[in-house]
Amino acid sequence: MLYRLRLERDLKRWQEKGLLSEATAAAIRAELAGAHWSISAAGAFAILGAILFGFAVMSFVAANWDGMSKLLRLLLLVGAMWACYGAAAYLLPRNLGRFAHAAILGGIAVYGASIMLVAQMYHMEGSPPDAVLLWALGGLAAAYLVRSEAALGASIVLITTWSLYERMLSETAHWSFLAVWALAAACAYLLRWRPGLHLAAVSLVIWLVPLGALILDNHAHWVVAMIGLAIAAAGSLGGRELDQRLGPVSSAVFAYGLAVTVAALFTLQFIDERAIPSLRAPNGIAVLLLLAVLTLGLLLAAMAWGIHTDNSGAMWIAYAGFAAEIFTLYVKTFGTLLNTSLFFLVAAIIVSGLAWLALRLHRRAQPAVGGVT
Amino acid sequence: MRLPRPGPALALAIVAGLQTAVLLYMVIDRSVLLKTGREIVLPVRPVDPRDLFRGQYVRLGFDVASVPLKLVEGPRPTGNKPFYVTIEQQEGGDWTPVRITAAPPGEAGPKQIVLKARPYYRFPPATASPNGMVQARYGIESYFVTEGEGPRLEALARDKKVAVLVAVDGRGNAALKGILIDGKLQYTEPLL
Repeated sequence: MLYRLRLERDLKRWQEKGLLSEATAAAIRAELAGAHWSISAAGAFAILGAILFGFAVMSFVAANWDGMSKLLRLLLLVGAMWACYGAAAYLLPRNLGRFAHAAILGGIAVYGASIMLVAQMYHMEGSPPDAVLLWALGGLAAAYLVRSEAALGASIVLITTWSLYERMLSETAHWSFLAVWALAAACAYLLRWRPGLHLAAVSLVIWLVPLGALILDNHAHWVVAMIGLAIAAAGSLGGRELDQRLGPVSSAVFAYGLAVTVAALFTLQFIDERAIPSLRAPNGIAVLLLLAVLTLGLLLAAMAWGIHTDNSGAMWIAYAGFAAEIFTLYVKTFGTLLNTSLFFLVAAIIVSGLAWLALRLHRRAQPAVGGVT
Repeated sequence: MRLPRPGPALALAIVAGLQTAVLLYMVIDRSVLLKTGREIVLPVRPVDPRDLFRGQYVRLGFDVASVPLKLVEGPRPTGNKPFYVTIEQQEGGDWTPVRITAAPPGEAGPKQIVLKARPYYRFPPATASPNGMVQARYGIESYFVTEGEGPRLEALARDKKVAVLVAVDGRGNAALKGILIDGKLQYTEPLL
């Protein structure tokens, strides 16, 4: 919908500039108003329907459990699963891709419900996250074999859930997540599905950010910050190489790396109170200020790079990080007024210095970018 | 590298087949355990006896679930990884834990049986008091009752001793097989 509004505005402008004739603009509008939109809306509803269908099966089976024998319940579940995949097989060659993928999603939902219900039928206790993993792997198989984006999206959500669940129970780093995540990310790459790659990246960020609290001395947020920096470096310094090998991914890689770094540094300074000496301890404020100056410097450098490479995602993350850092510092050091004023003085000097540097970088980059505003 | 790609109908059939196989494996694995596993009877610790069978499922507590940490032999289990508790039958027929090991113990005595366990939260670290306990889960702590059975078992269990019949396989996996009230088998799980 947003795209249509933006296109409408652009069409008007192009017409005013004489780039586009009235007839061409009308043709573009007509094309847009055609079948395309209604079909994608129907597809979206179909996906929604599939999710609701999954819930319906789960609650039906749960509600009518008692009248059935185990065999009947099992047949019902497996039958519903095959019916979903059968529907998908019917729809796929008939150019009803969206509906087919909705049916696949329904199949995956029934599969997951079946795992839970079989576990219930036989009073299996086991480790509940393992059941979620089993579900996710089934979805991943569907995503790979049928090239289903919907199935892949569901699988990545399930893999993330699996890891969160496992960590909640065990409070360990959960390294095995990385292996399954890599499978999902490879699948997204294979499908050339960009939203899937973003989803995989978000999933990895969710796994990475709390990692510091789960390894070494349980306050190792600096390790996470380093990992984030390494990812950001791969997206910036190694960006060209990356793009040549994988297609245009470097801006996103840089932005996600930056997000991990910012989150880790923020946790280190303000959330995990035992990560650095407390404010009241001698040197506490000095350590905090040093880290803050480092963080702000990094953010400014990231902004400069964001401008240089026209990376709006990274710019927004850097802006948000900058605002959060300054605001939290102010709140945390409130009361130690002298220190607060000293901090802002130091920060002001550094920010102005870096602003000057950024401006120079920007000016130098301008001709190369070719006047993009 | 081009991987061979099946047509959509075949691909979907493979997906459905794989997922069906997973479900069947779960069922068959369980059935084999229930059928061939060694049977033991474990008394149920009355958590709240009045509500035992009222809900959709009950949580069962066992005396053998609290295992003294002094029983650890060899390398200490870590995190929430599975560990193994060897239980031994006493004179009166009750089972008590005699050993905790991180790996399956090679041999067990004739009156002993090995149960695979997971800690409720995670295994207490080496710094924990050696006089403490680890709360073990054997995978037999939930019992889903069919609605018709609930009130009947509830009435039977009132002020009586409740125990469960458990099947245990050679790898220490345990499965609930039935319910005993005052030593009499009142309900058994049908296999299918």
